[in-house]
Amino acid sequence: MNPSLSQRLDLLARNVIPAALGVVLVLLSTIPYYIPGYAPTAANLVLMAVFYWAVHRPDLLSPVTAFLIGLLQDILVGTPPGMNALVLVLVRTVAVSQGRVFRGRSFALLWWGFGLIAFAATFVGWGLSVVYNLAYIDPMPGLFQAAMTTALFPFLAGLFTLMQQKLLPQA
Amino acid sequence: MKPRNGSSVLRLAVPVKVLLQRFAFLFLILAAFGLMLLSKAETTLMERASEVVVDVFAPIMDALSQPAAVVSDVVRTARELASIRTENERLRRENARLLAWQEAARRLMAQNDALMGLLDFKPDPRARHVAARVIGDSGGAFVRSMLVNAGERDGLRKGQAVVTGRGLAGRIAAAGLRSARVLLITDINSRVPVLVETSRDRAILAGDNSGRPRLAFLPANAAVRTGDMIVTSGHGGVFPPGLPVGRVVLAGDGVVRVQPFVQFDRLEFVRVVDYAGVSAVIESAHDDDGRRLAE
Repeated sequence: MNPSLSQRLDLLARNVIPAALGVVLVLLSTIPYYIPGYAPTAANLVLMAVFYWAVHRPDLLSPVTAFLIGLLQDILVGTPPGMNALVLVLVRTVAVSQGRVFRGRSFALLWWGFGLIAFAATFVGWGLSVVYNLAYIDPMPGLFQAAMTTALFPFLAGLFTLMQQKLLPQA
Repeated sequence: MKPRNGSSVLRLAVPVKVLLQRFAFLFLILAAFGLMLLSKAETTLMERASEVVVDVFAPIMDALSQPAAVVSDVVRTARELASIRTENERLRRENARLLAWQEAARRLMAQNDALMGLLDFKPDPRARHVAARVIGDSGGAFVRSMLVNAGERDGLRKGQAVVTGRGLAGRIAAAGLRSARVLLITDINSRVPVLVETSRDRAILAGDNSGRPRLAFLPANAAVRTGDMIVTSGHGGVFPPGLPVGRVVLAGDGVVRVQPFVQFDRLEFVRVVDYAGVSAVIESAHDDDGRRLAE
């Protein structure tokens, strides 16, 4: 029996959840919070989302989606267009290829893996910024940001897990 | 004929799709590098495209940033309530001091008017201000910029100075219809012609993503001391002269740095200075030509 139109619409809506979440997180991480010293070292929420979905539901987060989310982040944050897009495509690819290592194992392992990727992503972003600007840039804010992102990962990951269990169709 | 045509298209489409999936990664990586190169080479085109996207998202960010602003205001109010007595006392003393300064300023203004009249002095063009709210605070570790909720339709143009009550914050790097990007003076790409207020030595304030930008191209014999006030020089005609920027702090390694007056992490509202310096100079030059021709 073919699914009805409303069922198909419902499925479609559920399937775009990771992508829509990515856009929402880009917006949430770009608006000002007026906390002294926060902005340059704010946790990279988008990186957490892309990593989480690439590990758990790569079918719902295509490379093109990761690219477009990164490009939106570039445009709204003011980084060179393509920079975050490149980083997120790389992160997605690595996370998907290592997905089997993480799925069904302890959360500590996933957290450890994310930490490595967060610092690697910062390093790539920093390298690209240096080459793009043809000037040395202090990498410290980036390292703080990576540490902050890693530290806050469990909270966001918990939220994503909840969404995955309650909202997403099973693969 | 038609169905066969369709099936041959299908037969072609499947391998193309597989090929696309296989090469999507490579293609996207190349596209990302392509975009970065393009934004270096074709600055205006990429800026225009970015502005359109920012314009689309600006109203959403405007709405999203309101609650954060309210919370921040409440916290600030609570903190200020605690110190309201001492603050009041401080303000009373400051008011007394400022009244004396006001008297001095009035006297000097009258004297200045009289002297300018004697010299037939052409005053600087008057600047217009546009107020804007900060809706985007860069979450990037390697850029220092902001988005504001005013754009070309409010009179904002690329290059205009952005100030707060304390001093210079940055300049408009790109203006969309209803939003604009502000490049802060601390960003690595920021260069502002400034001068040391007391010695009138010229220099360029060069950002390096740190909280304290450098003073570059300072004359070798310049006598700069810690605490000297740095103001915009107005050279280049884009910024009005005399905008306060910050105070000199001497770093240990002989680099002269400036502590900006603006507190960048607390920016909620800014003013954009529409300074007609350049166009006024050009217009007056044309007028002179016209007059000369007429004579």
